Amino acid sequence: MQNSTTKNRLFTLASILMLVLIWKLLAVFWHQELIVPSPELTLVKLWMVINDPDFWPSVGATIGRGLIGFVISCAAGLVMGLAAGFSAPVYWLLKPWVTVIRTIPVMSVIILAIIWFKSDIVPIFVTFLMIFPIIYSNVLAGIKNVDSQLLEMARMYQVKTYRIIFELYLPSILPYLLAGAANAMGITWKVIIAAEILSQPYFAIGTNLMIAKIELETAQVFAWTIIAIIISFIFENLINRLENKLKRRV
Amino acid sequence: MAFILNNIYKSFGDLEVLRDFSISLEEHRLICILGPSGCGKTTLLNIISGVFPADQGQISGFEEKTISYLFQETRLLDWKTVEENIDFVLKDRLTRSQRIDTVSSYIDMVGLDEFRDYYPEQLSGGMKQRVAIARAFAYPADIILMDEPFKGLDLNLKTGLMQAFIDIWLQDRRSVFFVTHDIDEALLMGEIIYILSPRPAAVKGIIRNAIPHQERNLQNEDIRRIEQDIYKLLTETKLK
Repeated sequence: MQNSTTKNRLFTLASILMLVLIWKLLAVFWHQELIVPSPELTLVKLWMVINDPDFWPSVGATIGRGLIGFVISCAAGLVMGLAAGFSAPVYWLLKPWVTVIRTIPVMSVIILAIIWFKSDIVPIFVTFLMIFPIIYSNVLAGIKNVDSQLLEMARMYQVKTYRIIFELYLPSILPYLLAGAANAMGITWKVIIAAEILSQPYFAIGTNLMIAKIELETAQVFAWTIIAIIISFIFENLINRLENKLKRRV
Repeated sequence: MAFILNNIYKSFGDLEVLRDFSISLEEHRLICILGPSGCGKTTLLNIISGVFPADQGQISGFEEKTISYLFQETRLLDWKTVEENIDFVLKDRLTRSQRIDTVSSYIDMVGLDEFRDYYPEQLSGGMKQRVAIARAFAYPADIILMDEPFKGLDLNLKTGLMQAFIDIWLQDRRSVFFVTHDIDEALLMGEIIYILSPRPAAVKGIIRNAIPHQERNLQNEDIRRIEQDIYKLLTETKLK
């Protein structure tokens, strides 16, 4: 077991080196920092970006927006999903709304949100619209997949309804909710940054990406992208850890 | 006082499962209801437990009785330990201290005292069925309904579980209705055996087995004689 994890880590490392190598080759081949900046230059720019006094406020603001959007969407998805799962009228009432939210193009939402809201709120609103349907439908799937034989057992033993909800439904839904949350977390950062690029809040990773693009600082675009990837990676890791912890206890 | 089902009718769509079915069952007995697969045994239990009503007919004797169940599947909650699984059905009925005593004494009776903190996935199939047996007895029920709980288990496991069940049952002799299609199970468990015909079910015969449970085994001559009687009744119905 120990051996295979070390081996897997080596594969991951080799794969990352390969990626950097290809990047370097492309940079050499094009020989134009404007189109494909070299890894070295990107690293230098990354260092500059990190040392900029606006760096931490920007990163903090983006993470803050992401987490607010994520938490609100999860809470709303759980509550609405439970309501729709237990009540057919609620399900059918919500269905058209959820379908509209699910199918609406991200860019339309962003543009409308820019018209309606302050630039700081826009990314949160957009994240909510993108993530809420994921959590909602996962909770719904969880409720549909509750073991009917267990439910029958609980009813035959005349267990009270609120206890059936808390001790039977919620633990059954939990794996679905966590899978949905892990999926949603990954999407959150993509959506947040896309919305920031267009809405331009004062402090934001997206705003910095846009500025770098306007100034034709391609290496800086690469640098900010790497930062976005690292943030996404850290949060994916955190949520996976949470998932494993809860699963073991469950 | 007895449990009586009178002129019961039950159909599912065009499928007539029970037609003019009547049966009278004594209290505090281990009653076996033996019949071929699909003859309506489970339907009968479901009517008794009130999962669904009969289309027609009268039922009496079950008013204000609490019922517990042993299913073919163990139906344990994967996220609760052995102890918590039993406690799950007791919480609404007993006080905290009663629950603690009841749970641990029934876990002891099924021989799982070392496994009280284990989760179902850490237990074998037989151990899980023991937890289900403990749950059924721990629940303060007047009647225990059993729907083929030993189906699909190998002979050794089955004999062990039946023994565990009988040992606990002998302590307070609750009313048990045990539904099965397996003659051996009926021979080893039943005090009174009702033999049912194929669907729509009717009582073909009633056989009493007064041999004490401790003396029963499938080689015993008296048991063999009862087996012959049961075979006769079952094949009779098949020839028709």
